[in-house]
Amino acid sequence: MVNQESEGRAPVVKRRQRHEGPEKHVIAFIFSIVLTLIAFAAVAAGEVNVAFTVILLLVMAVLQVLVQLGYWMHMKDKGHMIPIIFMAGGFFVAFLAIIAALYWMWW
Amino acid sequence: MTTPHTLNTAETLPPEPEKATLEGRNKILAFWLFLGGEAVLFGTLFATFLTLRNQVADGPSAKELFHLPLTAAMTVILLVSSLMSVFAIQAMHRGDKKKLAVWLSATVVLGLGFLGMEIYEFAEYVIHKGYGMTTSAFSSAFYTLVGFHGAHVLFGIAWIALLIGQLMKKGLTVVTAPKIYVAAMYWHFIDVVWVFIFTVVYLLGRVV
Repeated sequence: MVNQESEGRAPVVKRRQRHEGPEKHVIAFIFSIVLTLIAFAAVAAGEVNVAFTVILLLVMAVLQVLVQLGYWMHMKDKGHMIPIIFMAGGFFVAFLAIIAALYWMWW
Repeated sequence: MTTPHTLNTAETLPPEPEKATLEGRNKILAFWLFLGGEAVLFGTLFATFLTLRNQVADGPSAKELFHLPLTAAMTVILLVSSLMSVFAIQAMHRGDKKKLAVWLSATVVLGLGFLGMEIYEFAEYVIHKGYGMTTSAFSSAFYTLVGFHGAHVLFGIAWIALLIGQLMKKGLTVVTAPKIYVAAMYWHFIDVVWVFIFTVVYLLGRVV
């Protein structure tokens, strides 16, 4: 189906339909900046509560990574099941390595 | 392979030129697998760093060493450069070769800015504070993890710069489009890794 598309000439109208504006990405950018600001502000504020700050920082990082993978790398768009499996597999092994190393060293 | 020269004008370029050919789609899919592997690679470096981060020997600890305003500036620069590559892909989807080249150039320039600041940071530690790779287990793990990310930034800069050259020479076609798309994915991934670095290395280094 798509091979035919590439061999024939795609009508101009189609490109207009598929085009998306920058608004969504600017919002994702502002959201990332806000998450970054919260993280740096939490640390700059000094000794509040160590456990709370650590959890806050990790949540901010995970949220920002999800925004970037989902919006900027289009993982939330349809047809991304295999990329999600690849990346989830990669993150799973990475996480496993971190947990195993920490477990090995500290407990 | 379809003949690219018949598809290289704005009128005939498919709406998503990076996915118009089987080769392009395969390239993108394979690149996701590569990024999954990269995640594992950085995961092991993070694991090493986390286990060794308190082994500072007689060198300074993370708390004494890191200067947050510099890290914050580097974070913003890399984030903006990631946004520039998003705009580049949007220009590519519009078939706008000139804008595509402009946004890619902006990505490269900001990447160079980031790299310059990282080199400044490392030089500050090594030359002014005498804190090198072999000072402590913490310093070895720190330079390996952050330096490896910096090497990725350097590679990305060279890659995208070469792609801009190819784009100018060969035009925006179904052959050049997947390459640019994949390079933009790589650039976003570099930003993703940096999010974990500034959180785990720099911010957590100041907290615990």
